[in-house]
Amino acid sequence: MSHETETPSTLLKLDDYRVGFRTERGLAKAVDGVSYELNSGKTLAIVGESGSGKTVLNRGIMGLLGSNINESGSVKFQGEELVNTNRQKFWGKKMAMIFQDPMTSLNPVMKVGKQVSEPLRLHQGMSRKEARHRTVELFTLVGIPEPSQRFDEYPHQLSGGMRQRVMISIALAIEPDLLIADEPTTSLDVTVQKYILDLLVEVQKESNMAMTIITHDLGVARGRADEILVMYGGRVMEHAPAETLFNEMAHPYTSALLSSIPKLDDPKHTRLTPIEGFPPDIVDGPDGCKFAARCQYAQENCLSELPDTTVKGDHSYACFYPIGTDEGAKAFASNAERGHTAAGLKIRAKEEVI
Amino acid sequence: MPKAIKRLIGLSCLLIVISMITFGAMNFLGDPLFNILGPVAADVDNPDSVKIIEEAKAQYHLDKSLPERWARWAWDFVQGDFGVQFSSSGQPPVSNLIKERLPRTLELMAVAQLIAVALAIPWSVLAASRANKRTDKVSTITAFAFVSIPSFAMAVILFYIFSIRLDVLPDVYNATDSFWGFTHDHRLIQLILPGFTLGLGAAAGYQRLLRTDLITTLQEDFILMARSKGVSKRRVLYYHALRPSLFSLITLLAINIGYMIGGSLVVEQYFRIPGIASAVVEATLREDFPVVLAVVMIISCGFMVFNYLADFLYSVIDPRIRTEKSGQRRKITSMGM
Repeated sequence: MSHETETPSTLLKLDDYRVGFRTERGLAKAVDGVSYELNSGKTLAIVGESGSGKTVLNRGIMGLLGSNINESGSVKFQGEELVNTNRQKFWGKKMAMIFQDPMTSLNPVMKVGKQVSEPLRLHQGMSRKEARHRTVELFTLVGIPEPSQRFDEYPHQLSGGMRQRVMISIALAIEPDLLIADEPTTSLDVTVQKYILDLLVEVQKESNMAMTIITHDLGVARGRADEILVMYGGRVMEHAPAETLFNEMAHPYTSALLSSIPKLDDPKHTRLTPIEGFPPDIVDGPDGCKFAARCQYAQENCLSELPDTTVKGDHSYACFYPIGTDEGAKAFASNAERGHTAAGLKIRAKEEVI
Repeated sequence: MPKAIKRLIGLSCLLIVISMITFGAMNFLGDPLFNILGPVAADVDNPDSVKIIEEAKAQYHLDKSLPERWARWAWDFVQGDFGVQFSSSGQPPVSNLIKERLPRTLELMAVAQLIAVALAIPWSVLAASRANKRTDKVSTITAFAFVSIPSFAMAVILFYIFSIRLDVLPDVYNATDSFWGFTHDHRLIQLILPGFTLGLGAAAGYQRLLRTDLITTLQEDFILMARSKGVSKRRVLYYHALRPSLFSLITLLAINIGYMIGGSLVVEQYFRIPGIASAVVEATLREDFPVVLAVVMIISCGFMVFNYLADFLYSVIDPRIRTEKSGQRRKITSMGM
């Protein structure tokens, strides 16, 4: 295991990582060649719509996917190759995960305090009393009122936001080097979402762990993540530091994703622009760019060739006709002229395009 | 609490109805007088016989109306007097017969249920953790084999292997031996073969059910969560997955009590255990209805008690169905988000 090519702070390094599920129809390529690096103390947001492979990617990194998968490429965690190895030794010690739905992710028949103190007892050799004490401390830290009483309550006695705080305290109890938060606020009330996200970022900053937030909402990523990685069809579409991504958005998919969510500074009654169509079939997918069938910029070569990743400093994207370039403008203009894209998608009228 | 009392009243009403039906059926389907006296009961032309008939009618209250006889019987029953046997000159009283026979059957059933549960739990966990793999498929076939082998065949097979061939388990049941002990002269050891005969089929049934429930539970997010916390696979299976999967098993356990009494009939015959099941067979053949009635009532009571216990067990396992008390506390404490 050589560290020569990596800076010491590189915690996680993926190189052409692929995950396929063996199905009756063939291999479902859920993650199709993903490469990125994540440093300690940094937050990465992985953004994409449902079915883009972001959850599989992260469960794959953690090794939580079970046995009927094909893994290839490379995932290095603290310099150690993970692909096709058992990652059990990292669980509960160096890696932790927060799941999407805190109701189904907490054991309904176990006291919440016990669920938090379980890793403390198992991996940190704490006595029952010490673990209880630490758990109450963690409950206080994540803002659970009456923490010592809550210890003996069951998940159904807590609200969604409280349950997600319990989940966060489990992750904190582990004191991981890498925390993966898989859509941590999707099942929560909008009013609670912000608190939970801010809490996550706050504890991440304090403990200097690396964090990956998986979300379908670019708004969640904004202001919280250091870097944003946009995924589609199991591939990385665009990857850039957060502000660069918002300011110099290059990939049509990123732009489409952003126009499909409401923004606070939009004037009233602004129409959202949905992305037409559905994510591609991952068993028998398109040869070219995965997004070509739904892309307003798509040209003939997008359908047959896979675009290479263009790297401009710390900003990278995989597109032939990126936004903000002459090629992109030309491609869109030619599609607008003929009224449809190379994939036959109707071009929206000019005034509808944001 | 009032809910529990309501339940208890309901069960008592049910028992009363069951006793009425059985009492009525036994009287309509047979002639109690004939069962007591034999052929003399039909000999109404002979004055001597008529005298005997009149005496018997008075002694057994057969001259009273059916509801009154039922009421007399019920009043005695709740006081622990189950009446007299019709045959064998009324001796011993039914309550003595039950007192002698019932514990043996209860012991057999306890041993059988323990064997069944002790086998079914690790068996289901093993099968569920390797769902649809070879281990699971082999275990499914084995389970179906156990379920489909009738108990008389199972008894012969087990008896042949363990008692005759291997000679590790005793071949006789001796009702006068003491129960607790670990030699061939203790009934605990003597009950192992009968217990397995009854228990293997039950274990297979439990395994089918618990395996399915476990597989469902193992797909829950909280199992993945537990794994990602670094909890070992074994601990996840037994500590996290088992408890929320036990509901159907408990239901079946309680229901199975009734079936096991039926099943113990064959087993008691084969292994010569003078238990309640063999007593009820003899009594039914003789149309000795006080005995049948008493056994029916005891089985019904037992069935209800165990189902009542099962309800209680649900709430032990799952905090979500505990009494209103915790619900009230929740209202007070969870004011935050």
